Amino acid sequence: MEKQEFISHAKEGKILAHKCTNCGSLHLATVYFCQKCGKKGFDDIILDGQGTIETYTIMTVPPTGFEKYAPYAWAVMIIDNVDLRISGFLPNIVKPEDLPIGIKAKVSGFDDRGIVLEKL
Amino acid sequence: MEKVCVLGAGSTKYGKLDDSIVDIALQASVSAIESAGIEPKEIQAGYISNVFGVADKQVHLGPVVMSNLGISEKPSLSIESACGSGSVSFREAFANVAAGFYDAVLVTGVEKVTHTGTEWTTTYFSYCSDFFYEGQAGVSFPGLFASMARAYIHEFNATEEDFARVAVKNHDNGLLNPKAHLRKKITIDDVMNSAVVASPLKLYDCCPFSDGASAVILCSQNFAKEHGGDYIDVIGSGRGGSPAALQGRDHLTTIPSTRLATESAYKMAGITAKDVDFAEVHDCFTIAEVVDTEDLGFFEKGKGIEAVREDQTKLNGQISINPSGGLKSKGHPIGATGVGQVVEVYDQLTGNADERTVKNAKIGLTHNFGATGASCAVHIFQSV
Repeated sequence: MEKQEFISHAKEGKILAHKCTNCGSLHLATVYFCQKCGKKGFDDIILDGQGTIETYTIMTVPPTGFEKYAPYAWAVMIIDNVDLRISGFLPNIVKPEDLPIGIKAKVSGFDDRGIVLEKL
Repeated sequence: MEKVCVLGAGSTKYGKLDDSIVDIALQASVSAIESAGIEPKEIQAGYISNVFGVADKQVHLGPVVMSNLGISEKPSLSIESACGSGSVSFREAFANVAAGFYDAVLVTGVEKVTHTGTEWTTTYFSYCSDFFYEGQAGVSFPGLFASMARAYIHEFNATEEDFARVAVKNHDNGLLNPKAHLRKKITIDDVMNSAVVASPLKLYDCCPFSDGASAVILCSQNFAKEHGGDYIDVIGSGRGGSPAALQGRDHLTTIPSTRLATESAYKMAGITAKDVDFAEVHDCFTIAEVVDTEDLGFFEKGKGIEAVREDQTKLNGQISINPSGGLKSKGHPIGATGVGQVVEVYDQLTGNADERTVKNAKIGLTHNFGATGASCAVHIFQSV
């Protein structure tokens, strides 16, 4: 159920997060228990899906179904103003100069490529 | 807790093999049984690790292996833990012998995938990631480790040539291993000029897809002494876990499960990293070996790459890393790899490693993980 809600928010460029009501730590909404304190109660927090690219790869030998997109990037992004990362598919990246570490990006959607990111 | 020993060990060659998954599992098992000098009837349980049995039309391998060894009545456990299946299986076997449930058990790891082709294999391997966040978004294992490599390059001023040195070193070692998959001397230029798979990793930064099987006999020290053959002691065993997806980790250049497994294995053994003479580590990609040697405590974080530049990790260097050739050159039949590492340590510590012998070695370590280190096991062995 939470996963469907998470996907719905990602389609709108948002990240659905869980804030632990016991210790306050933040998780992506797909978790069921707090990693830090082990408790179950969460408040839903909707974050803007914007952040900074921390690392990435440019895929030239893609898995099945991704041939038509290659080359493309898969990137890890730290979300602005919180201690939470998200990773996803990032199209139209051919060479490292196209995506310097530290560049800003955002969640642009969710489809059969999972979470889709876009360079800002 | 009972003291636990490795009494015998055997492997098939790693590479592209024609025989079926069951045949190669049995070849390695029989070789370990003969090496131990025991009868199959003395084995009380089997631990059989494998990931993609479905590709060769045989899952639930445990009872099939036991039946063909004439011990169909003995219990077995068929174990999957991605690329760490072998060491996780070894750990379960260790725990059961240490607890006194069994005196002697068979641990066999096996994989048969090369007949399926690169595309199928790359795709199926990606199911070992946290698929919702990773595989589904088009990233392969080369891509996940490439992301770690880029973070490492960015944080510690490493270069792609530095990583290439890991591949060159492991190929040098693999040349001395008759059972290795890729027995070929390579140069830094060969690595740098090989096709980019997932930047910054190139083909020669990656281990091959391999077929192969490895097996060991694990037993109580009393059983080992009564049987009189060569044996080595298992003095440390540790396990750990990490967030399954890279995005969940505080640092992208360290693997939390390795650190946890290492800490508990050293504690059980009563040693520190300085006491280890050689290690078989999980070098599925060149970056992984560098990260491993730091997480295992051999080098400080960020210094593993300098150790590679200075040849400290070559055979009979300051600490021999992957004398077998590692996953990179020896090969990576994923369900077998963790058991194969133990076979190498057994051969080294019983004087059967021939040209690739680590001189005066007394303590060897194995380190094997699943996926990007979501699961990990570390074991420490001592000669007797």
